[in-house]
Amino acid sequence: MSDRVPRLFIAASLLVALVLQLFELPYALAVLRPLWVPLVLVYWVMAIPQPTGLLTAWIAGLLLDVLLGSVLGQHALGLTVLVFMALGLRGWLALFPIWQEAALLTALWLVYAFLMFWIDGATGHRADPWLQWTPVLTTGLCWPVLVPIMNSMRRRTAHDPLHL
Amino acid sequence: MSTLSASTRRPLFPRGPGLGLKALILCLLALGAILTDQRSETLTPVRDALTWALQPVMWAAALPSALARTADRMQTRESLLEENHVLRENQLLLQARLQKSAALETENRQLRELLSSSAKLEERVLIAEIISAAQDPYRQQIVLNKGARDGVYKGQALVDAQGVMGQVIRVNPATSIALLLTDPNHAIPVEINRTGLQTFALGRGDGQNLSLPYLPGNADVQVGDVLVSSALGGRFPAGYAVGKIQELKHEPGEHFMEALAEPAARLNQGRQALLVWSESFPIVEPPIEPETESAPEPAAAAPPP
Repeated sequence: MSDRVPRLFIAASLLVALVLQLFELPYALAVLRPLWVPLVLVYWVMAIPQPTGLLTAWIAGLLLDVLLGSVLGQHALGLTVLVFMALGLRGWLALFPIWQEAALLTALWLVYAFLMFWIDGATGHRADPWLQWTPVLTTGLCWPVLVPIMNSMRRRTAHDPLHL
Repeated sequence: MSTLSASTRRPLFPRGPGLGLKALILCLLALGAILTDQRSETLTPVRDALTWALQPVMWAAALPSALARTADRMQTRESLLEENHVLRENQLLLQARLQKSAALETENRQLRELLSSSAKLEERVLIAEIISAAQDPYRQQIVLNKGARDGVYKGQALVDAQGVMGQVIRVNPATSIALLLTDPNHAIPVEINRTGLQTFALGRGDGQNLSLPYLPGNADVQVGDVLVSSALGGRFPAGYAVGKIQELKHEPGEHFMEALAEPAARLNQGRQALLVWSESFPIVEPPIEPETESAPEPAAAAPPP
């Protein structure tokens, strides 16, 4: 794997994640929508050797706040904390096969969802508690699917001039 | 002095701020943003600028539903003919009802004049298209294609053909965001049509029901009672259907009774909604007089014969 950071690819994947997080779904499916932006951010934390990503996470969180209409800073805080934890656990998590990694990462999604729940409560937004927790499970299930796909796409772009 | 010179020579952060420090600073920044945004309007320009910059993302996110709508539009000839037939029948029925209501309205106006009351019957309305909805399962908001340019204001009521849908909470230049009745942050003053009992209805956040808490234990409420909007808050125009009582919950020994109601408006189905100018809101520029009316505006009443 190349150790140079395909910045354009990171930005593009985050944009796609934002769109996936946003687009309209029927109510029953929207409940199951995985947390795309955290998923992609943590993927990059795991995949790239340099400890980058905190600022990226913060900016992506701010954009998510604007897009979802939540209080400014809510998702920025959640994603920064998430990426910080992922950076700390990276070396340890790399020891496990992907299924166990997915299970362990579910704990991180849970922390993130709890932070969102907590800020929602603190800012006076009463959310339905059950609907807040189902994406944690789907995000955990998406991880083993997403990682091979992103890896193969990354290997392909590594030979392209697109790679900066 | 040797220690001082040694410490000044050494850079404070050998390899830039450490990871923990960086995370701490970013977290504090985010916390500050949350507190500021919660308490004041200082960050509104930032939000507006970012909203403007993120237009392409919103556009991309709206694309799948727009495509679905286009596919929906390509119907077969038979279904169109059938729909045409049904609509014709409906039109006839409504026309007949309209004649009756025109007569009633004149009568009503005369009676009101007798009472020298100034309440007006016709309200200014504007049809808005719903651009997108349900970005988040626990925030029941929709985006409309009318904004400040069309005179939309914060707090404006939104109705559809069946009843009240919600109210506008944020106005952008060309779009606006409305909160639906079923959002847990939404409350609307209502009146029970049968008895005239004034109360309010809260959203339950499940996307389907309204809750009427704090009804007196002996209140005269029955399943099937129709709720209409009351003008008590000064925000919603009076007399629009809000919902229908579905279930009554009265725990023995409790002072209050709670009722659950089903909203009258079809909240997740329509593509269009009607923005209504409330009577208590001062209209800056007078609207075009609906005397020469021919547009199919469901809420505007017919001109007197």
